[in-house]
Amino acid sequence: MSPALEVKEVSKIYGKGENKVAAVDSVSLALNQREVLLIMGPSGSGKTTLLSMMGCILRPTSGEVLIAGKLVSMLSEDKLPDIRKHYLGFVFQSFNLFPSLTAVENVELVLRLKGCNKENLKAQAMGLLDRVGLVKRAHLYPMDLSGGEKQRTAFARALAGDPPLILADEPTANLDSKTGRDVLMLLRALAEESAKAIAIVSHDPKAEELAHRVVFLEDGRLKA
Amino acid sequence: MLWLAVKTLFHEKVRLIITLIGITISTVLTLMEVSIYLGVMGDATAVIRNTDADIWIASKNIQSFDFALPFPEHRINQVRALPDVLWAQKLFLSWGFLKLANGGREQAQIIAYNPDNGIGAPWAMLEGSASDVKGGRYIIMDKTSEQRLGKLNSGTLWEMTVGKDQYSFKLVGLSQGIKSFTTVPLVFMSYNQFKTLAQEIGWGDQTSFIVAKLSDPAKADAVVKALRATLRDNDIFTRDEFIHKTVMYWTVQTGMGMAFFLTAILAVLIGGAIVGQAIFASTMEHLREYGTLKALGAKNSEIYFVIISQAAISAAIGYAIGVIVILLTRGGMEQSGVSIYLSPILFITVFFIILLVCLLSAYFSVRKVRMLDPVTVFKG
Ligand SMILES: Nc1ncnc2c1ncn2[C@@H]1O[C@H](COP(=O)(O)OP(=O)(O)OP(=O)(O)O)[C@@H](O)[C@H]1O
Ligand SMILES: [Mg+2]
Repeated sequence: MSPALEVKEVSKIYGKGENKVAAVDSVSLALNQREVLLIMGPSGSGKTTLLSMMGCILRPTSGEVLIAGKLVSMLSEDKLPDIRKHYLGFVFQSFNLFPSLTAVENVELVLRLKGCNKENLKAQAMGLLDRVGLVKRAHLYPMDLSGGEKQRTAFARALAGDPPLILADEPTANLDSKTGRDVLMLLRALAEESAKAIAIVSHDPKAEELAHRVVFLEDGRLKA
Repeated sequence: MLWLAVKTLFHEKVRLIITLIGITISTVLTLMEVSIYLGVMGDATAVIRNTDADIWIASKNIQSFDFALPFPEHRINQVRALPDVLWAQKLFLSWGFLKLANGGREQAQIIAYNPDNGIGAPWAMLEGSASDVKGGRYIIMDKTSEQRLGKLNSGTLWEMTVGKDQYSFKLVGLSQGIKSFTTVPLVFMSYNQFKTLAQEIGWGDQTSFIVAKLSDPAKADAVVKALRATLRDNDIFTRDEFIHKTVMYWTVQTGMGMAFFLTAILAVLIGGAIVGQAIFASTMEHLREYGTLKALGAKNSEIYFVIISQAAISAAIGYAIGVIVILLTRGGMEQSGVSIYLSPILFITVFFIILLVCLLSAYFSVRKVRMLDPVTVFKG
């Protein structure tokens, strides 16, 4: 069985001539189901750039991205939204929840976006919030949720539509250390329970214990 | 994604209220300007439109219905001589001064018609009938003139100066809603009766208009052409041409049309600017979330739809409130003498204009979303 996600020799080069920067330089790695991969590295080392390419949000300058064995880096721009819709869930450092929607509505929105069964959307969204332990806070707006609750809502949203891959960029950066740890544990549990492949970018040393595998980036290259 | 559009729109109540106020004001002003313009133009052309004649013959260089000058009435024979003319009638338009109970005087526009056939007669009677003016110094006035003249009661006597002399007339009927463009009270009387007065001012053999009915209205253009060749000292119009001439005079020559349309256009633009501003502010605030939706697989078109439907919903609600305001104030405005013409076509047209402006105002927001790169959502 092919890995959930595979990148082969991907590079991203910004700028031209003198100013040319290889944000990511010939990186190859694979991510399997039920695996939590942690990507670490100093600021500016290319972590976010790599994650964006893995998530089909950014097209690599060269190299290949394969999702479930399917080559997606060759697809045209207008095909990528559909790939993201079906295979990917994202979690962001700054949560990015709709302030005018309650927690459960934020999850419901993505269920709708992903074309999930129109019946009992609310119940489905509640089910997802239940998995992140937020049922009681479901009807609050993001401004009334704590940082950890916001990030857990974001997890529930990432799980909407049951994508096989979840990519998280600094999910704990805006959380205190205890909450950050809880959130990471939740991610790991989700990977194992629901057979997700999860890639996390983080500076957080606690993340190391919770990941199944850690890779280091430096100047866009993978360090052995 | 209509769901998202509605949720966000109604969640941000202050912004929604501002938007709706903008659209409502826009709607009210636009409808008001256009309906008053149409109402006033309706008044200006009321007699032409309500007289069953295909051809209007007036003095040379006439600018509008109200400014008719007398010309020899025997020219009616040349009109009647044409084979396509079913009948021709004379109509006199003149001015007089009514004496008010308080001793003041008020100018009046006299329309003298033949009560035997009712050509040029008042058409909307409240009391009495148009033929009642026959055979004496009898007049019909309009209910809306009460504003200027005080209460009008059938049977009362009115002193009116025509030319140099003052005559006494008996009010025998009241019409409803017949107004002149100039808002001067209208006084209807019999043509023959007016001629006895006109005799004394030297207009005995004159008339203001000759109106004619054709056996086949489709021949109007040909008859007008023939009449223009024979009656070189007159202006000759088909009914529609005379309406057009009158409307154009008041609209263009007086500059009134420009004033109305500028106000209406400004109203629409201001509404559009308010909506555009509100939607743009909302889009800017939600940019990160829209980027997130893109990252999660939303197509640009789905996000455009959210923005555009918010503009459309705002337009529809604001317009509806505006229409309610217009309908509620209509009676009061008409009571105070303002002529208002509202029709389904006007409502529909203004709705589409408002909708179009609201949709166009969403353009900058749509452009912003098109250029939004989902990569930005990873920025902290
Ligand atoms: N759009 C861009 N244009 C030009 N250079 C870019 C662009 N995006 C990223 N870079 C550069 O690529 C390199 C890697 O950036 P990236 O954001 O991937 O780093 P990072 O490891 O995520 O850093 P941080 O830990 O600060 O988030 C940096 O040198 C950055 O300046
Ligand atoms: Mg980064």
